[in-house]
Amino acid sequence: MDILQYALRRLLAGLPLLLGVTLFSFTLMVYFGPDKTFELLGKNPTAQEIAEVRHQLGYDRPFVLRYGEYLRELATVDFGNSDSTGERVSSLLARTIPVSLALELPGFVLGNLLGIALALLAAYHRGRWPDKLIMGLSVIGMSISFLVVIFVFQIWFCTSHGLDLFPVRGWGTASLADYLRHVTVPTLAMVFVALGYNTRFYRAVIVEEMGRDHVRTARAFGAAPARLFWRDILKNCAIPVITRIVFTIPAIVIGGALLLETSFGIPGVGKAAYEAIISGDQPVLKAVVGLTTALFVIALLVADILYRAVDPRVSLE
Amino acid sequence: MNAAQPGLPAATAPRASLWRTALYKLRRDRAGLLGLAVVVLYLVAAVGAWCGWWAGDWALITGTKWGPVSAQHWFGTNIIGQDIFQRAIYSTGTAFQVGLVVAVLAVGMGAVIGAVGGFFAATWIDEIVLWLMGVLDAIPFYLMVAAIAFALADNPYAMHVAMVSTFWTTTGRLVRGEVIKLRGLEFVEAARAIGVPPVAIIFRHILPNTFHILLVQLTLCFVDAIKAEVVLSFLGLGVKDGMSWGLMISESTLEFLAGHFNNLIVASALLFGLVFAFNMLADALQDALDPKQVA
Repeated sequence: MDILQYALRRLLAGLPLLLGVTLFSFTLMVYFGPDKTFELLGKNPTAQEIAEVRHQLGYDRPFVLRYGEYLRELATVDFGNSDSTGERVSSLLARTIPVSLALELPGFVLGNLLGIALALLAAYHRGRWPDKLIMGLSVIGMSISFLVVIFVFQIWFCTSHGLDLFPVRGWGTASLADYLRHVTVPTLAMVFVALGYNTRFYRAVIVEEMGRDHVRTARAFGAAPARLFWRDILKNCAIPVITRIVFTIPAIVIGGALLLETSFGIPGVGKAAYEAIISGDQPVLKAVVGLTTALFVIALLVADILYRAVDPRVSLE
Repeated sequence: MNAAQPGLPAATAPRASLWRTALYKLRRDRAGLLGLAVVVLYLVAAVGAWCGWWAGDWALITGTKWGPVSAQHWFGTNIIGQDIFQRAIYSTGTAFQVGLVVAVLAVGMGAVIGAVGGFFAATWIDEIVLWLMGVLDAIPFYLMVAAIAFALADNPYAMHVAMVSTFWTTTGRLVRGEVIKLRGLEFVEAARAIGVPPVAIIFRHILPNTFHILLVQLTLCFVDAIKAEVVLSFLGLGVKDGMSWGLMISESTLEFLAGHFNNLIVASALLFGLVFAFNMLADALQDALDPKQVA
């Protein structure tokens, strides 16, 4: 019961953040955003037609009223129809978010699991050649641009200049084979880029934990290495690991897939959001920003509750 | 900068200050020195490009379409016959311009705001600082940049503004944490006791003691900025006039089908070299300047 109470309190505490992000992005993306008036008008419009369209888009109302309207839309989770295509915003999100999730989930999971595995290997052999090799490779991985990785993998795996095994562009989830055909190369690119950063981060966490007094004591008492790693080190690493994983989730749901989606021609939400900014599609923008912030507040909460679950010393106060 | 470093073990030498020890450690760090040498090499190329000593013909058509590697064109020519090597060297100047402007401004901003928040921790000022950092961190980076680029309507510095306004929060958080630690120490207490105003305490007595954090953050921020430039230029939100590695890489997508990869190879190799050197330098600085010395 107190977890529920705590969750409610934390969600309330997230309100200033929600207000801040929406106000900030509203000012930036909507108030100063692209003007759609003349895209919707025919040739040689009269002054009255211009005024009509501006009224329809809400440009003629004062800032405070427009922002208030946005807050009302947020509270009721109803953002109306897209200005560009007329599609309902909710159905647009319902169509694109699952695509992005299906695209990124394998890469995200593999990138973190492999990162932890390599970090353990490096930390276990700390200071010897496997450690130096893994850390050297991860700095190399960190130094290669994501964009270059995408292009090189596309050329290598998807064109006749390389192996020519997978399609360059497109998306399909009709069957498992179809899904695998389209998801493999983006996943490889994602894992390649994430691995350098993840391995370094997780190794630093593990090495710091290895230096603690209780680990030395356990080792002095003759604890077996495997048991030492599992019980005395890995479990204590849980908090930074949870923080890292939980906080990348909002970015992954909305913005993170933009590059993959643009280069592989995948109809995900990152691309939809980006196109909405470029074209000034306000209803879509408002929904995406609101959703991201809500996810961020929820991620903060989930992280706190997970801390409590893995470490009884953390109190929910 | 030679203020006494409280909490630093004075074990290595009789008069070991943080900076003296750091310099000593840095000089023995071969990877770090190599990184520094490579960065200086790139800097020379960049200064030359700024001053027009070389790579001045980057925009001219000096050869045939997709000319081969030759003595005149070291890495061949691109789709309309411009010299790829000259364009890549000219882009080094762009990379340093973006990296330096963004790193200095973002780290400076993070230092000031973070120090103010940390000094006034647990007051409304700190609440506002934390709120601001939370808000900026919650907006997805590329959406934010796209929005700023449009709000600033084709301003060539839209990309810089966008990066600075999102990158400063990392430095801000680190400095805030360090300042909270520092403000409880005796020298701050002493300054307060003799009536030094808060602004002077923050800027004259506390901020100089966070300089080791700022130096490492500068190198990391530089790396982030030139990597982001590549992606933003590809999305059409980056460098507007001039040439950059990002523009070369996005230009190279037009050449893949025809099987010409020189643009991609040269631009990404130069980008990789600079980022890798900076990463090694950042690692060396971090090791040298870490008073706790966690290996």
